[in-house]
Amino acid sequence: MHEVKRRYVVPGDKIAEGNFRPLMNVIKSGNTLIATRIGIAETGRDGVKVIPLSGVYIPRVNDLVIGKIIDHSSLSWEVDINSCFSAHLPAQDVFGRDFSPARDDMTKHFAIGDMITARIIAFDRTRDPMLTVQDRDLGKIPRGELLRISATRVPRLIGKRGSMIQTIEQATETRVLIGQNGIVVVTGRSPEGVNLAVRAIVMVEEEAHTANLTQRIKGLLNVPDTQPPQERGPLVAGATKPAEIESTIDEVEEELEVEGEK
Amino acid sequence: MTQIRNLIDENGKRIDGRGADELRTVKITVGAVKNADGSAFIEFGKNKILAAVYGPREVHPKHMALPDRCVLRCRYHMVPFSTDTRKNPAPSRREIEISKVMRESLEPALMLQDYPRAAIDVFVEVLQSDGGSRCAGITAASVALADAGISMHDLVASCAAGKVDNRIVLDINDEEDKEGQADMPVAYMPRLEQVTLLQLDGRLAPEQFDECLEKAIGGCKMVYEIQKQALMQRYFGNETELREEVQ
Amino acid sequence: MSSSKRSTIIVEHLRKQQMWDALSRGKRLDGRDFSETRPLVIETDVIKKANGSARVKLGDTEVIAGVKVDTGEPFEGLENKGALIVSAEVLPTASPYIEPGPPDEEVVELARVVDRGVRESEMIDLEKLVLVPGKIVYTIFVDCSVLNADGNLFDATSYATVAALLTSKLPVFEMQDEKVVDSGNTQPMPVTSVPVSITAARIGDYVLIDPSAEEEACMDSRITITTTEEGFCATQKGYTGSFTPDQIKKAAEAATIKGKDVRAKLKGLEVNNG
Repeated sequence: MHEVKRRYVVPGDKIAEGNFRPLMNVIKSGNTLIATRIGIAETGRDGVKVIPLSGVYIPRVNDLVIGKIIDHSSLSWEVDINSCFSAHLPAQDVFGRDFSPARDDMTKHFAIGDMITARIIAFDRTRDPMLTVQDRDLGKIPRGELLRISATRVPRLIGKRGSMIQTIEQATETRVLIGQNGIVVVTGRSPEGVNLAVRAIVMVEEEAHTANLTQRIKGLLNVPDTQPPQERGPLVAGATKPAEIESTIDEVEEELEVEGEK
Repeated sequence: MTQIRNLIDENGKRIDGRGADELRTVKITVGAVKNADGSAFIEFGKNKILAAVYGPREVHPKHMALPDRCVLRCRYHMVPFSTDTRKNPAPSRREIEISKVMRESLEPALMLQDYPRAAIDVFVEVLQSDGGSRCAGITAASVALADAGISMHDLVASCAAGKVDNRIVLDINDEEDKEGQADMPVAYMPRLEQVTLLQLDGRLAPEQFDECLEKAIGGCKMVYEIQKQALMQRYFGNETELREEVQ
Repeated sequence: MSSSKRSTIIVEHLRKQQMWDALSRGKRLDGRDFSETRPLVIETDVIKKANGSARVKLGDTEVIAGVKVDTGEPFEGLENKGALIVSAEVLPTASPYIEPGPPDEEVVELARVVDRGVRESEMIDLEKLVLVPGKIVYTIFVDCSVLNADGNLFDATSYATVAALLTSKLPVFEMQDEKVVDSGNTQPMPVTSVPVSITAARIGDYVLIDPSAEEEACMDSRITITTTEEGFCATQKGYTGSFTPDQIKKAAEAATIKGKDVRAKLKGLEVNNG
């Protein structure tokens, strides 16, 4: 495991001096690397970055998000994805290329207030994000308990290769849908299981920056610490994450687990 | 016969007991407004000011959006019971001017090009005012912006200095402002060593001007430490495990 | 936060499902019973420059009220009474849906309903606040600012107003050579009763006391009832739906019962301030 230095930072804090590459949420001024957001700064071989702990969700292409239908025009639905921009789901995505507003009733498919899982297929600096529901497991969410967490805590909630969320799901017999935009839906057989899962999720959100979190979550769920979660195909939105964040979470988890053992 | 009051006594103590270089007590609470994306409540002496940030968020009306950067909007507003005589809730010319200079003091710090076609709204509400409310407002707004996760080059800290009984003093309060000779509010980005707000109300000789500016900047640096401390406390509490000294 | 340009929340269908589920079992989304109010926290004397002030938290709804006293002309037709006026603004800090600007019809209604509760209950003995009958009287301004909005602004604003008035220190004005002079002394506000506002929302056939913002986004109609120790003094039905007479009676009963608890809390403040 390569050397990685970590510390808590606020904007304007100097993280390191020297020949490092500035990565996300870091700028280089002369020879100094500086944080531009509140979070955990990491100095490693490939550069210096800050994992942010606050901030509104900014859409990324390929992200799986959970959104709310808030309006529709004759050609698309407007979807609130808990971000600084509304997203659009074209009617053609659902009805097909020969969609006709006269014949196909949009409200029969998605009503105002419906929650959907969708993937962002287009977004850039000139237009609002565009969504699709044409993949496996995408579309209207029929039932479940809804939670909102900060989008910055989603990687921690998912965990290394899904380990954190799978631990929670298995211990509470629930299925947890997580959007990269911080919207979470929990379904389960028993209300007690669902409530416990919700409590665990809230704890992860509040303590995402701390060490020994996995241990404490397992404690809350009454799971023995030595038991690793069983591997299961990810049903979790966000199984496709940008590589950068994935590797960061691996490192954070490893490092924090090691620190906890001291 | 008019009684001229001494604002500074023979021991160098000011009417509230402070020395010439002493800052009033400053306390910042991060996250004071639950619905906002970022917020801070500040008590700067007797000033009590709330700053809330919503953003980045969609711009309404849409035609006001800029294609290559974020729109920053600031509102400085005093509630009617914040001053000695009741203030009409409608925006006064003073509030409109302060809203503008406040926006112009925060904008240099923010990386607005990271959020094209969006808006960031900063609302500063003065619940009780006692001299230097715009400085306290900028200080709180800066913390609220960091709390909201907006990318920035540095925090903006703000503090005023002034001339009272012919002496340059730091952080003048309401009485010193009313009865003193000059008031100079300053906002400063300490890491970049850049001044983003500078106003002067009153008369200063050339060397007094330099002294006043230096003192105010010194005050800004003190305020900066308090801002950082408040953010660290809110986000990291007593967790210091990850804290490392980096030279 | 949502980027919606709407002025109200669109409640997710999942939340609505959960809500109906819970209501059928006698509970609300946050676990409350139908007639349970959220935690109420009142802090007084928070703004020293005001003659009186109070900061109220009702659940997450937060309102601050400040009292400023001056002198001026009496209201027309009320020559022998001091003047009292309650104003309100919902600050743009309060929620993502507020635009800064002059008060809209909802905020005007809020201020007038709270004002009505204070006025019709005769909470303040305004006849004691006259300096020159028909010419110069005490004018009492109560200004309320909503800092964070999470439903039931009516009750939160009313409690802040009443708490601020109860704990205010009035200047003692005197007439000297036909000019008003502040004697420098203070006196307590002449209070004769303590009005308490209780607001309920109807969702389907359920009547729920102290609605949250989410419940208000789902409600059909709303009713605010203000009581004194003796009975009722002000009522306002709001929003676009209706009530059956029976539902109104039930709301009135709840207003009396719940009102007693809140009144005790408000009167407790009065005692502490002397």
